[in-house]
Amino acid sequence: MLVSSGLGACVEAPTEPLDDPGASSVVAFEAPDLAAGSLRRRAQEVTVRIRSLGCDQLGLGSGFVLPGGVVVTNRHVLVQPLTVTVNSWDGRSLAADVSGVAIDSDLAILRLESSEGLEVAELRSAPIEAGETIHAIGYPDGGPVTISSGMVLGVVDGSLLGEPADVIRIDATIRPGNSGGPLLDDDGRVVGVVFALETERGTGLAVPVATLLERLDEAELEAPAGC
Amino acid sequence: MNDPEGPGSTPGAFEPRGSEVRHVRRWPWVLAGLIAVALALAGGAVAYEQRGVAAEWRERSETLQAQRDAGIERERLLIDQREQLTRLVRRSEDDVVGLEDRLRALADEKAQAEDTATTVQVERDVFSEVTGRIVAATDALDSCVERLFELQTASVDAFNRSTAGEPVDVAPLNATAAQVTASCNEARNAAANAGAAADRLLAP
Repeated sequence: MLVSSGLGACVEAPTEPLDDPGASSVVAFEAPDLAAGSLRRRAQEVTVRIRSLGCDQLGLGSGFVLPGGVVVTNRHVLVQPLTVTVNSWDGRSLAADVSGVAIDSDLAILRLESSEGLEVAELRSAPIEAGETIHAIGYPDGGPVTISSGMVLGVVDGSLLGEPADVIRIDATIRPGNSGGPLLDDDGRVVGVVFALETERGTGLAVPVATLLERLDEAELEAPAGC
Repeated sequence: MNDPEGPGSTPGAFEPRGSEVRHVRRWPWVLAGLIAVALALAGGAVAYEQRGVAAEWRERSETLQAQRDAGIERERLLIDQREQLTRLVRRSEDDVVGLEDRLRALADEKAQAEDTATTVQVERDVFSEVTGRIVAATDALDSCVERLFELQTASVDAFNRSTAGEPVDVAPLNATAAQVTASCNEARNAAANAGAAADRLLAP
């Protein structure tokens, strides 16, 4: 015992294992191109094409799917709707009923008869801020799905634009047919619903998710106008 | 002579000075010897233990070196595998993207075809409506013309009788004229409806 104590003071026996230099030099796996591809894929999967046959006209626009077979689009896409069809990115055609259109906002809620196999969008609760990167997904001009990236220019008063609350102004390219499509952040979460293009400025406008969440309540909806 | 015991010593307890000195001087040497032996033993033990510790360190060093070499080799293999997998994933991703592009193009064609079918259906419905209205207008015009002929015949007959000096009651003639006017107005309305339907069909 005494000898061991004395030895301990001289040179200690090894107790802790040395770090493995091989393990510490392993770098984290990163593939930004694959991650971006995954984001694009998810963005196009949650975005749908809306065809609304009205009394005497055909309305085309975009929308996105929420849990429970709910589809969000713009009120102005559904003009006196008689028959509404939702086209998914992979070619499925699904019949939809109009749950209602927002009384005071350019929003409309559809309900799919069957939403099996459709990806649903995730809504972002945190408010969007100027300078954030966004992606507008939609079917402009009734064509194939497109992704247009840009950034938030600001959040502006929506009262002059017929909206009850603030709206998001973006510099991403918006064209007719983008209406009702989702505005996504870099994580693929919905931050707004595209509804208009300011032709003079060349900027797009979107209804924030906060307004959408309030209008999802059926009490805030009314039946669309008939023929 | 000096007193070896110093002052106060007892004469009866006297011991020779030489033997006491020898006893006192031997004791430290024995102690020193014992300490030396103990130190030698301890040193030997330390040396023995240190040799063991050194052997442990050497063994550990060799083990760690072997682990390190194996780890480096394993890392190299894993990096190779990861790069291979990444290449495969990228190739698969390219394939998937290509297939998705194709699927999207087909979906777009299908959607466009459905748009066209819907438009054609609407146009067919409008054509059908226009056709029905034209048929109704034609029937009304036919009726109008027929009544006009009847009115013309009645008018000629009344004129001939009047010329021959016979009394002529113009009341039935006026009633027929009113019916003809109503019939022709109906025909005119039906023609206008057919025209409006046709205009809607041709509207952009």
